[in-house]
Amino acid sequence: MEFDFTPVVTYFPTLLKGVGVGTLVAIVVAFMSIVGGLIVAVISIYTNKVVSWPLRFFIWLFMTTPLLLQLYFLYFGLGEWILIPAIVVGILGLGFHYMAYNADIFIATIKSVSNGQYEASRSLGFGHWNTILYIIVPQAFIRSIPQLGNNMILMVKDTSVLSAIGVAELVYASQYAISVSFRPFEFFIVIAIMYYVINILMELGQAWLERQTAYRR
Amino acid sequence: MSTEKQTDTPMVEVRNVHKRFGDLEVLKGINLTVNRGKIISIIGPSGSGKSTLLRSVNHLEVIDEGAILLDGVQVNRPDMKGLAFERHINNIRQNMGMVFQHFNLFPHLSTIDNVTLAPRKLKGMDKKTARDLGMEQLERVGLAEKADVFPNWLSGGQKQRVAIARALAMKPKVMLFDEATSALDPELVEEVNRVMRSLADEHMTMLIVTHEMGFARDVSDWALFMDGGVVVEECTPDKLFSNPDQERTRNFLQKHLGNNH
Repeated sequence: MEFDFTPVVTYFPTLLKGVGVGTLVAIVVAFMSIVGGLIVAVISIYTNKVVSWPLRFFIWLFMTTPLLLQLYFLYFGLGEWILIPAIVVGILGLGFHYMAYNADIFIATIKSVSNGQYEASRSLGFGHWNTILYIIVPQAFIRSIPQLGNNMILMVKDTSVLSAIGVAELVYASQYAISVSFRPFEFFIVIAIMYYVINILMELGQAWLERQTAYRR
Repeated sequence: MSTEKQTDTPMVEVRNVHKRFGDLEVLKGINLTVNRGKIISIIGPSGSGKSTLLRSVNHLEVIDEGAILLDGVQVNRPDMKGLAFERHINNIRQNMGMVFQHFNLFPHLSTIDNVTLAPRKLKGMDKKTARDLGMEQLERVGLAEKADVFPNWLSGGQKQRVAIARALAMKPKVMLFDEATSALDPELVEEVNRVMRSLADEHMTMLIVTHEMGFARDVSDWALFMDGGVVVEECTPDKLFSNPDQERTRNFLQKHLGNNH
């Protein structure tokens, strides 16, 4: 089999556009899933069962069903009622999915902060919620960085699943080019390299962040 | 306190305090007064209730009966609920410095931020004023040069001194020490004791739960021996450590001081 990368070069601007869309989705989803995951974790730990059980059910639901199915539910389910752009559905679906995974991490790390920290803060005069805000959550967040990093790398790879509902990220962008050039392998190789590079950069970033916070743990 | 020493007003009053953990009564009607500027030490075997008593003063343990007062204001308020009590206890605690056995410094904050967090957030102090105040407190415990270091880089003794500075930064009316040197390597105990002695020289009101008999004897105005949830004996430290009235006190001291005599 002979490789011919000319079509890849021709359609490279399209692929880059796909990288752009994927990156945009990933950044919004990262922000949404980390902030949302933290809020879900705090609420599910520190409030009563009426509030926390539905949230735990939400976490359980998103962690036990496939992402693709969740996206179909949101896209075609919501599509029955209102017309939402695929990219918004994709961000919401991926966002909720990883929000559940991140909440699961935060729940574990928040619980791992010793009670002595809570008592020391309260003994200074900080209230319950101020203690959570200034003392518990920052420490839990630092402890969460390694696992959060892993989740975000998985998430970046999962942006490719959004091609199933027509979000023009990298994989979707390549499909038209493949269908006219009949050169799937060349495209797949280049796309794989692109994901590889992005994720290596993310791993480097994660390692740097871990080094920057190691002495604060 | 003995009558000749009651020259001042009470700072901490503990009145007939009872505390139960399930069926186990760990405090069985404790009475105690710490006068302004005085230092009281509580000694006793583990499980005697001495730590529970100290934690009750800070309301880290909720007492079942009795009353605790700080400078005439009742700390425990069974009549208050929810947010009203939360505000009340937060205000009370700002006037009490608590030092823990395991330091409990905030590892995500530098030394100076550990000291200044409460003044900034609770008293609304601006960063510059808070830093000056924090440096002053760190100088007091001899650690000004460690201001921008994180707790994990400090020795146990240094951590405890920072914890004392953190409590002092709120300008407390009383300092509570819960076995402040028990988790330290023997060679690090003295640097913490030195800081506590300097507070004594400044007439800080202190309530100290300790296993350091020699230190308690040196520094205290009054000493209590607790066992089984009651105050077995209280008197001047010299009498308590050299010539106690009670058999239980003698037995305890023999076990702990046996080798030193």
